[in-house]
Amino acid sequence: MKKIKKYLSIAVLAAISLFACNPLQLDEIDDPNNPSVASVSNNASREQIQFLLTGLESRHRGYVTNISQAWNTFGREIWYLNGSDPRFQTDWLGQNGRTPDNAYFGFGVTGGGSWAFPYQAIKQADVLIEASLSASTLSDADRRAVAGFGKTIKGFQFMIPANWVYQNGIRVDVADPLNPGGFVSYEDALDFIKTVLDDGDQDLTAAGAGDFPFRLTRGFDGFNTNAALKQVNRAITARLNAYRKDWQGVLTALDASFMDLSGNLNAGPAHPYGAAPDIFNPLFYVRDAVVTTMIVVHPSMLEDATPNDQRVANKFYERTAPPVTVSTDAGTLVGTHQDNRWASNTASIPFIRNEELILLKAEAHANLGQTTDAVAAINIIRNAAGIGNYTGATSQDALIDEILYQRRYSLWAEPWGHRWIDARRYDKLNEIPTSFDGGAIFPQFPHPQAELNWDSYIGN
Amino acid sequence: MRKFYRISATLFLLLVTVGWSWAQYTVTGTVTDERTGEPLIGATVLVRNSTRGAITDLDGGFSIGIDGNQQAVLVISSLGYVSKNVNVSPGSDAIQVTLAQDATNLEEVVITGLASNIKRSNLANAVSTVSADELVGTTNIQTTDGALYGKIAGANIKMNSGAPGGGVSIQLRGISTLTGASQPLIILDGVYINNSFQRTGRATVSGAGASNQDDGANRLADLNPNDIESIEVLKGPSAAAIYGTRANAGVIIITTKRGASGKTRVSLSQDIGFAEPLRLLGVDDWSEEKINFFFPEARRPLELERFRAAQASNTFIDYEDYFYNNRAILSNTRLTISGGNDKTNFFVSGNFADEDGTVRNTGFQRTSIRANIDHKITESIRLGVSSNYIRTDTDRGFTGNQNNSGASIGYNIAYVPNYYDLRRNADGTYPINPYFSENPVAVTDLGTNNSLVNRFVQAFTLDADLYKSSNSILKLQLGGGLDFLQNTTLVHLPESLQFQRGQANPGDVLWGKQESFNTNIQAVLLYNWNLGRVNMNSQAGLVRLDFNNNDLFNRGRGLAPGQINLQQATVQEINQQFFSEVQEAGVFLQQEANFEDKIIGTVGIRWDKSTLNGDPNKFFAFPRASVAFNLANFDFWGSKSTFSALKPRIAYGETAGPVAFGATFTPLGGTNIGGLLGSVVSTQIGNTQILPETASELEFGIDAGFLNNRIGLEATYYIKNTQNNIQNLTLAPSTGVNSTPSNEAELENKGVELALFGSIVEKPNFRWNTRLMYWHNRLNMKRLGIPTYISGGFGSALGTFLYAEGFSPTTIVGTPADPSNPGGFTIWGNAQPRYNMSWVNNFTFAKHFEFSFLMEYRHRGDNVNLSAFLTDSGGTTNGWFDDDNGDGIPNGRQRPPEPYNNAGRWVQDATFLKIREIGLYYTIPRNTLNQAFGNSVENIRLGASMNNAFLFTKYEGYDPETSTFGAQAVANNVDITPYPTPRRVFFHVTIDF
Repeated sequence: MKKIKKYLSIAVLAAISLFACNPLQLDEIDDPNNPSVASVSNNASREQIQFLLTGLESRHRGYVTNISQAWNTFGREIWYLNGSDPRFQTDWLGQNGRTPDNAYFGFGVTGGGSWAFPYQAIKQADVLIEASLSASTLSDADRRAVAGFGKTIKGFQFMIPANWVYQNGIRVDVADPLNPGGFVSYEDALDFIKTVLDDGDQDLTAAGAGDFPFRLTRGFDGFNTNAALKQVNRAITARLNAYRKDWQGVLTALDASFMDLSGNLNAGPAHPYGAAPDIFNPLFYVRDAVVTTMIVVHPSMLEDATPNDQRVANKFYERTAPPVTVSTDAGTLVGTHQDNRWASNTASIPFIRNEELILLKAEAHANLGQTTDAVAAINIIRNAAGIGNYTGATSQDALIDEILYQRRYSLWAEPWGHRWIDARRYDKLNEIPTSFDGGAIFPQFPHPQAELNWDSYIGN
Repeated sequence: MRKFYRISATLFLLLVTVGWSWAQYTVTGTVTDERTGEPLIGATVLVRNSTRGAITDLDGGFSIGIDGNQQAVLVISSLGYVSKNVNVSPGSDAIQVTLAQDATNLEEVVITGLASNIKRSNLANAVSTVSADELVGTTNIQTTDGALYGKIAGANIKMNSGAPGGGVSIQLRGISTLTGASQPLIILDGVYINNSFQRTGRATVSGAGASNQDDGANRLADLNPNDIESIEVLKGPSAAAIYGTRANAGVIIITTKRGASGKTRVSLSQDIGFAEPLRLLGVDDWSEEKINFFFPEARRPLELERFRAAQASNTFIDYEDYFYNNRAILSNTRLTISGGNDKTNFFVSGNFADEDGTVRNTGFQRTSIRANIDHKITESIRLGVSSNYIRTDTDRGFTGNQNNSGASIGYNIAYVPNYYDLRRNADGTYPINPYFSENPVAVTDLGTNNSLVNRFVQAFTLDADLYKSSNSILKLQLGGGLDFLQNTTLVHLPESLQFQRGQANPGDVLWGKQESFNTNIQAVLLYNWNLGRVNMNSQAGLVRLDFNNNDLFNRGRGLAPGQINLQQATVQEINQQFFSEVQEAGVFLQQEANFEDKIIGTVGIRWDKSTLNGDPNKFFAFPRASVAFNLANFDFWGSKSTFSALKPRIAYGETAGPVAFGATFTPLGGTNIGGLLGSVVSTQIGNTQILPETASELEFGIDAGFLNNRIGLEATYYIKNTQNNIQNLTLAPSTGVNSTPSNEAELENKGVELALFGSIVEKPNFRWNTRLMYWHNRLNMKRLGIPTYISGGFGSALGTFLYAEGFSPTTIVGTPADPSNPGGFTIWGNAQPRYNMSWVNNFTFAKHFEFSFLMEYRHRGDNVNLSAFLTDSGGTTNGWFDDDNGDGIPNGRQRPPEPYNNAGRWVQDATFLKIREIGLYYTIPRNTLNQAFGNSVENIRLGASMNNAFLFTKYEGYDPETSTFGAQAVANNVDITPYPTPRRVFFHVTIDF
């Protein structure tokens, strides 16, 4: 009995010591991997604002891969040949009667790079601007600079979903994730974007002269003053105004932009890329790589080229290795020329360039019947490409055709899908050739399934 | 009133015991096997309603003293035999007891809870038990989960691929979650072990995508199946409620072998064998006509030239055969030593499994060392420890999905015509593959996809009898342990490869180091007492669980020639760093009551809280109740010889499934751009109100026994309803956020499990044991709560899955669009089988021979066969150029159903019949052994066996069991050029000393 008592007391002691730290007590576990969004919502530090601002630059480039591959395929500037997934050919080229649905390949239920990603950049801008308002270490001028930058990016990003779904319209009231506003028409959306960009312009004015108060990446080298960012804002506004067919507005915006008729056509802000921890330029392919996935030049670009066009020589590289060949159930596509624009996989990708601004100037003048000014601008582009002055007809239609042709080569395969949008603007989608692939040209996309789902969830 | 009765009954019993405690008499006897007449060594003889007992000796004899001079009942039992009750009185002669083999396992003790076990015949749930013999007695199976295949009614067990080293999904009674993998909780000797499918990084380097396309193994692969004594499977909440928060998908309780007192036994086993592919499909031949059809005009001359050159030299290469049809050598060596004395027992085992794969440079090596030691500190305090160190080294090669990199054999050769030779050149270089981005021969020769696991699992139990009387006992049970797992992974594609040379930074290496550390501890007070004729078992306990993970993956690109060290890379990248920490705690109470083995009832409740939940301090309650009636044990039953048992039973229980780590967080992600660090708003909003997924199950059934329980029947019906199922509520992506976890969905699983089993023939020279099982499950989304959506697979054009109310989420839908269906697409199939059947047979004949086989049939259940999609694209599907409908378009370009080339063409019936295990063993007769070796060798057993012996199916793939996405609740039936399943043939020898 004594023994039992002894062991009993040992057992009890063991039990007590084992559970001295109450086993039912759980620690509070915070996210061990990331800061929380809430950590910046109230009186963020200057460093936190900087991180959010750099985050906005990162979100700002989210669209590049998808749009470069998809929209440029829609406009037959390129083929994105992909030996591992035939749908990059069959579905994106609209082969065998395929037409976009609400969860189309490459876009998914959220619209991916053509919808969700630009809206994530918009969200990031909103969070940044909101955080800056309560950050006590920022001056008013700082806050206006942040707001101006954020709204400029927002304006740019809003144009992406708008152009993707076109007449289906987009949401513009998107601040509250659980209570988004309804869809507005393409035209109304563009007008809304105009107000966003104009607000940004005013904010940057109010931010005063001098350097932008936060650090921007090298993508904004040459544009990291408040005044230069204003010029970027106006350049984006010029592009927007062309879509709005506000031709006078295009010229006004261009005047306040970084357009330089005698300057470097490549001047403009860019998305930087680099080695890890950054990401590589997603459009770069090694010359003559023996692979089955590659962006290749669409045959019509080669067929329609003007002899001795420097742009053709500079941008297209004819493979010496065997052509890239990909077979699908819709047949086989062959790519003979690669994209030659990127010196390396760390090259930055511009998102708006002087060359486009000059072409916008030509287009605005042509639409306003200012033929001489239009031809002058066209000639800047032609001479830079080494194909001499324009000698064709100067009717408005002829000039527009010429400008659209020059845009095909000047703005080839830029991460915007210019040709697809341009052809649609002038009701010329049927001029985009489908004979090389037997596909179809999509006019626009339906809303992503997730948007429809949300409306049905809340009972709209 | 009841209380009064209880107290008076206790007092009465006490008086009776005390009053007669001075008197004693002795009973002697022998126990033998009814069929063979051989003595049973180690049989247990217990005096009913007392704590007195004895064990039979080498001749089956026993002697036992009985208190008092009244009649008493001896309960005589032996493992694997039907126990018998014998009435004895002071004048009894020596008694002769014969025990019949327990053909229906009604006597086995089944673990049913954290600290409880019960005789099978008293069980109120359909708990499946798999013994060591059933598990690995027929053939050698690499992993424990693979060895369970076809042995559990209600379990849908599936190999994800044929790659060596495991990768098995187990779903018990349908699925209980939409977001996780719906895999059961696994408890090894009381330790909550890690059975996750860990990332290997292959999908990152090959470009396939997320880690669920790594084709990684689940870490149950580390456990040596031969160490296992038994496995109990609690299939649903009604049986598993006492396990609380992690038991929604069922619980698998694994118990390893332990030593027994007596002579030290040394057993050495060697299995040696080979593997070859179970099934290959063949590749299509080419002709000039086919080349002219397939290739564009500009390309034809080149292809024709190659074709004619191959014809001239007759070098056509069947790449499927070349890559997959290699004979692999398999070896498994085991040494166990066990024994002990009155105080200490031990079981020590070592295992070295070394298996090559049928693809060159793949294989699986497992080294396992185990020591299970039990020690009686005193008569009333017992300590048990189980230690297991494991080192698993697995090379799984490059198969499955890829993107652009060409680093998948099957994906790659889908595009390579058989007239082009990709084999290594004499100078050691590899030809350029002009049909895809990589030469798969070079990837197989030079690439690495390795996972090296170092693991230590330690369990302990400490039992203390705190109080003991003649008819009651109070025990304290402490138990718990730890599982430390470190997995070092390496995926390497060297700089010399074709695809790598086409990259800016050729050469790609991804090193991963994953560490997980789980600990758990539980303390239970058990009180066994008698209330009149009712035996009561009361429990109260608490449980604490901790789970920690720490993962780091680093990638290097642009490698110095031949180097894999990250510091030899041009671009060095932290690919992923991830920490997680989870804490859980629970308390439970349980009361079991057994009225003379006639009525057995249990009620219990567990309360759990977890840091994964929105409110980490809230306790969630999980009740259970069950009752079983052993009608044949009532007096009215009469003779038991024909209809020997009938047990209606009913059970109800509730459990939960854990919330995924991080569901409550709304993080700012880190991102780098242009040399600066950015913080980006996450696209997922955390749900700080998130609740665990809960399930409730009502199970009822009847167990019956016939012919003295030689034949048994178990019939079970269950309805398992889940609530608060977590799925991502997709927000309008235009708000810049995509999703937030929601608790809206409800699933219903209903099913039937039938098992008919027993001993068909029982002759001294011939015995035939059989078990025939049937089960089916019907899954239905009772409530979705969010808009109908499609998800999983590779999008609507290639078959995806429908999440809609009234449909099973295993419903396969796809193009063409059909607005009349929810989700807007055509319904093409359902991944869920209509029913499964399996049949296990075991024959003992001519005294020394044993023959067993196991077959399983699965009826329906569709796969999405994208392997065929790829070979059709590349023109290599066997029969590609045939034209069944004679319209001039070959089959490979026009697959039915009409309208052609929609998602329906890839949805294929995966019905199959598999002869899973066959084994024949011969035990060398004792006399022969004695003549040859004297007494030094106790036993020699020889055998030959096959695993995955034969497959019969119309499915057009290597194996109808396949999942390119590994284990997940839904979309686990997509076929993308998997590693072909091997057929494994073994020769066995076991020597006992």
